[in-house]
Amino acid sequence: MSEFAPGVGVVADRRLHPATLVSRTLRVIPEAAGGMAAYGALIARADLARVLLMILAGILFAGIAAFLSWWRFRYGVGEREIVIESGVISRKRRVIPFERVQDIAIEQRLLARLFGTAHVKIETGGSAADEGHLDSITLADAHALRDIVRGRKAAEAAAEAEAEGVKQDAAEPVLFEMGLGRVLFSGLFNFSVVFVAAIFAVLQNGEELGLIEPTDFALKSADMPVRMWVIASLVTLGAVLLLGMAAGVIRTLARDYGFRLTRAAAGLRRRRGLITLSEAVIPVRRMQVARIESGFIARALGWYSLDFQTLGADARGRGAQAAAPFARIEEVRPILAETGFPEPGEEAAWRRAPRRSIVRRALFPAIGAAAALAAAFALAAEAGVGAVLLLLLALAAPLRWTRHRHLVGDEALFVAGGVIKHRVRIMPFARAQAIEIRATPFQRLLRLASIRVDTAGAPNTRGLAIVDLDAAEAAALAERLLALFQERRRIERAARS
Amino acid sequence: MANGMRQLHPNHLTLLRVRGAIFALAFVAVAALLDATLVGEIGLRFGVATGGAAALGVALALWLPGRRYRAWAWRMDEDELRIASGVLVRSDTIVPFGRVQHIDILRGPLQRHYGLGSLVLHTAGTRSAAILLPGLEVAEAERMRDHVRARIREDLV
Repeated sequence: MSEFAPGVGVVADRRLHPATLVSRTLRVIPEAAGGMAAYGALIARADLARVLLMILAGILFAGIAAFLSWWRFRYGVGEREIVIESGVISRKRRVIPFERVQDIAIEQRLLARLFGTAHVKIETGGSAADEGHLDSITLADAHALRDIVRGRKAAEAAAEAEAEGVKQDAAEPVLFEMGLGRVLFSGLFNFSVVFVAAIFAVLQNGEELGLIEPTDFALKSADMPVRMWVIASLVTLGAVLLLGMAAGVIRTLARDYGFRLTRAAAGLRRRRGLITLSEAVIPVRRMQVARIESGFIARALGWYSLDFQTLGADARGRGAQAAAPFARIEEVRPILAETGFPEPGEEAAWRRAPRRSIVRRALFPAIGAAAALAAAFALAAEAGVGAVLLLLLALAAPLRWTRHRHLVGDEALFVAGGVIKHRVRIMPFARAQAIEIRATPFQRLLRLASIRVDTAGAPNTRGLAIVDLDAAEAAALAERLLALFQERRRIERAARS
Repeated sequence: MANGMRQLHPNHLTLLRVRGAIFALAFVAVAALLDATLVGEIGLRFGVATGGAAALGVALALWLPGRRYRAWAWRMDEDELRIASGVLVRSDTIVPFGRVQHIDILRGPLQRHYGLGSLVLHTAGTRSAAILLPGLEVAEAERMRDHVRARIREDLV
């Protein structure tokens, strides 16, 4: 029964696949177990039986909640729109017209693959909150829905999808793909720092929590010679690094297995995943900034990654969509060409900040280092570590200055930078949202100013910025960027009409 | 300051001073309270904290508002709005109207009293998603809003 005016609009008469209940219920187990573990650690006397009982109660609760939301969730597909009605108590009816749908992303997690279902994300031009989710429907339904939205006949498409299964559309030209070997190799560069930190945390605290017996560690014995201690430390460090690398390879394999990028009608279609299969289209119209990135080892070996900052980044600011996670520059070029992003011109045209920028970059860390050093002598020796780190940062200033460059091209602004990870950002002029000239007191002292160009879907902290231009030059460049912006907008408007 | 930039309405300076005075009074009141109860225990003479707070308060109410008022400047062109602001960190922002998603006029209680309003331009960007220009006469702010609205409509066609 629908609470919404009967006979008006599309009737929402379809339910999600019942397997959704199982996957949604099971999804809470890790959380419930984690919560209970924390509870168990807090209350020392909590016995295992009680903890298990509470986990079961949690699962039961999640099961009931999953059932209620499944029972109260309906959707319908009409001639021109998708309708979703949801909400256990307060009902919500969302109508998404087909014209507003940018794409339908289909994702299959492990359980979903067992059940033959898929999570369908209906992407609209707006923010993440405006998107529609169908979690989950059968894979055939998902493909049928996508084909309806694409304007094909429903029945024909459903039959085709049924027959084809997950087979990919042969008509779309492949722009980039990665074999198993390359995925594994790229994993070596995705060294997991978090994982290593976690291992160290366990080593540090494991003893206290009783997870590791102190006698396990030869390191503990006080009468061990220094040489032995050094060797043992190095071995431990090596093992942890190896583990971090292995974690990186596994994570990359799970994410990028079978990576394939094809040219779809509206943009780039990306398929990937080992356990969770995902398929998404990155619409060209939503691409704001292209980013070519490379760590210093990968760069030395000639490997780069390409991603696009897109409109409608989710709440966590993850607006970047990977287009080629590990590629040769010759493989990146055709993708850029296909999406209309220009390549930077010749090397000589790139500009650097004036030399006094080095002073500006080194000043704060140097002052900080001096303060930390003073603190190390006067208060606590531990501050010495901070002093060393800040000093390193100050010494890195010339290198950071060398790497930070920009280039005003014919169609786009190029900004490069980064010492450990080098990145080049490409922003077509028309993608600017606002242009800002900023000068901190230090910068004004040195007659410097930075230009920040705000773009849609940019990460909050690391947007596009040209740091430390000569103040007069910054003002001139801002005017020029504005003029170029208006010109490109005029061209785009003319092309549309 | 760049050519043709306009200052905010003079009433905004008065508003900043009033706001500063309110903050300063609250600040001095808290300091006096602490002075009477706690500060004596750490060996500070009565009146030192209150006096210090009062000096800071005077700066807050008299000196800072002037600096802040003079830091603001704006210019409305055919296709973009330019706003300069910031005492310590200077900022000069240009917003092309083609990028404005929607427009607000905000009026706080003090602003209403002085016949002022703030114009807020929302863009799809992240860092400067809402660009604020305070201290405009209401009629002026409304004129600007209508102009921007007309430009957005033209841009859509």
